[in-house]
Amino acid sequence: MSTFAAAPAARPDPTTRPEKRTSGMSIALSYTLITARSTFRNTRFILFTVALPVVMYLLFNNLYGDQTEAGINVGAYLMVSMAAYGGIGATINAGARIAIERQTGWNRQLRLSALSARGYLIAKAAVAMLVALPAIVLVFLAGVAFGSAHLTFAQWLGCGLALWLSLIPFGVLGLVIGFVATVDSAQPLTMLTYMALAILGGLWFPVSQFPSLLQHVAKALPSYWAAEIAREPLAHQAIPLTGVLVLAAWAVGLGLLAMAAYRRSGRKA
Amino acid sequence: MTTSAARTTPPAAPSVRDGAAVRLTGLHKSFGQVHAVRGVDLTIAPGEVVAFLGPNGAGKSTTIDMLLGLTAPDAGSATVFGADPVTAVQAGSVGAMLQSGALLPDVTVRELVTMFAALHRHPLPVDEAIERAGISEIAGQKTTKLSGGQAQRVRYALALVPDPDLLVLDEPTVAMDVELRRSFWASMREATAAGKTVLFATHYLEEADDFADRVVVLARGRIVADGTGAQIKATVAGRAITAAIPGATVAALRDLPGVASAEQQGPRMVLRCTDSDGALRALLAAFPASHDIEIRTGNLEDAFLELTANATQVAA
Repeated sequence: MSTFAAAPAARPDPTTRPEKRTSGMSIALSYTLITARSTFRNTRFILFTVALPVVMYLLFNNLYGDQTEAGINVGAYLMVSMAAYGGIGATINAGARIAIERQTGWNRQLRLSALSARGYLIAKAAVAMLVALPAIVLVFLAGVAFGSAHLTFAQWLGCGLALWLSLIPFGVLGLVIGFVATVDSAQPLTMLTYMALAILGGLWFPVSQFPSLLQHVAKALPSYWAAEIAREPLAHQAIPLTGVLVLAAWAVGLGLLAMAAYRRSGRKA
Repeated sequence: MTTSAARTTPPAAPSVRDGAAVRLTGLHKSFGQVHAVRGVDLTIAPGEVVAFLGPNGAGKSTTIDMLLGLTAPDAGSATVFGADPVTAVQAGSVGAMLQSGALLPDVTVRELVTMFAALHRHPLPVDEAIERAGISEIAGQKTTKLSGGQAQRVRYALALVPDPDLLVLDEPTVAMDVELRRSFWASMREATAAGKTVLFATHYLEEADDFADRVVVLARGRIVADGTGAQIKATVAGRAITAAIPGATVAALRDLPGVASAEQQGPRMVLRCTDSDGALRALLAAFPASHDIEIRTGNLEDAFLELTANATQVAA
C-alpha cells in the first residue's frame, strides 16, 4: 500500500516559475491531437464509418455506374453521394461521442483545465473533420479502382476538398447531439438525423425523383448542398452561392446552439 | 520534517477584504422544482482549511460546482481570488477533485495525468503530481482497472496538476480505507502548511473536526453554522440528560429551568440542556422518582443532527 507523499517543503514562487506560457491556442491544439489519437485508436468506430459507404458505393456503382445522365457520369455522381454519406456519418458520430464523456464525468474534469469553452468546441469540431477524411478518401479510392468515372486530378481534388469543407455544419451538429443527448439516446438520435439528412438530402436517390414538396425541403438541407457543391467540379460549374449560404447558416445556427448546450452541460449529465 | 524552516513565503495573513480566496454572495440554484442552494454567503481567507459539512442533498456539491464555474448560479455570485471562477480555473489557481465520475477509459494513469497536464499553462511536472498523490505504483495501470480508492488518488493527482493555490475537494475520501484516509489527510496537511487554501466537502464529522480550521455546516441549501469544530459543538446545547422519569410529560420537562428541549426515546426522556447542573436539580425536585440518570457531553454528531434538524423545520 503506497501512501501519499509529503509535499515539497517550499512551494515555487509563482513569479519565478519557468515562463513556459502556453497560449490558449496551443492548448486547444494539444487537446485536438489527444482526442484525434484516441478516436483513431477506436478501430471499430473508424471501420463502421468507412465500411458502409464504400460497400454501398460498390453496390450502386455495379448497377448504374456505366450510365450517363445530363452529361454527368452516374458512377462519379454516386461516388460523390456515397462519400458525402460517409463523411456526414463520421462527422456527426464523432461529435456524438461527447455524450459518453459527459456521462462518465470526464467532460467536467476537462472544464477544470485551461482549455476554454471555445477551444474545446473548436478541437471537437476539428477532430470530427479529421475523422471524415478516411470515409471520403476510401470511397474515392474505390471509385478509382472500380468506377468508370474518368476525372482529372484537379477534379478529384476539387470534389474531395469541396465535400470535406461542406461537412463543417455536420461536425457542429454532432456536437449539439453530444451535448443534448444522453448516452442511451445519442446513438438513436444520431442514426435518425443521419438517415433523415441522407435520404431527404438526395444522397440515396436523386432529388429530381422526389415529389415537389420534398424537393423544396431538400434544398434547405445541408446534406443536399454538401453533395451538390462537391459535384460541381464534375460538371465544370461554379460553386453555387445559395449552397454556401445554406451551409454557413446551418453552421452558425448549430454553432450557437452548441455553445448554449455546452454551458448547460456543466452540471451532471 | 523541516517544513516551517524551509518555507520561503510567510503563511497568508487571515485578512480577507479583497484578498479573499473564495467569496460566495447570495448564491441560489434550483434544478426544476428542487431548490438546491438557497442563499449561501461565504468568504474564505487564503490559507484557510474549510470543511463543508452536511448530509447528502444539503447542496454541498451544487455550491462547489458554482464555485468552480461548472454551473451558473440562478442568483448571486462566486469569485475565486477576486476573479470569476472560469477565469481562475483557466489561470490554474484552482485544482479540484470531483466527486466520483469515471476517468477517461483506455489510457494508463500516467497517460491520463500527462494529457491533463498538457491542458494547463504552467502545470506541475507529471512525475511530481504522481508522486505527491502516491500513485507511482499504479502509474502504468489502465484507468479502468483501478479500485475505488486508487481512482480517488488519481483524481487527487489531477487536482494537483495545475499547482493550484486553492484546492477544492468534493468528498475526497469516499471509497478510501481507514489507513489510506489517514495518509491522504497527512498529505493534505503538508499542502496546507505550504500555504494552500483548501475547501473540502464531507459528511464524515470526524474529518471536518480533525482536519479543518473551520467547519461550515450546510443543510437544505443554507449555511446553518460556521465556526471551529469546538464552536459548532458549543452553539447547541452543551450537555444532554437521559433518564427514566415516571409521570413526566415532554411539555412539563421542557419547562424546567436549564432545559432547551425534551423528547421521549422509548422508556426514557432526553433533555438537551443549556445548564445541565441547574436542570438536574430542578428535575430531581420536580420528579424525585427519576432514575437511571446519565449526563453526557454533546459531540459534533449531536450538534450536526440538531442543526440540520432545525433547518428541516425551517424549510417545512
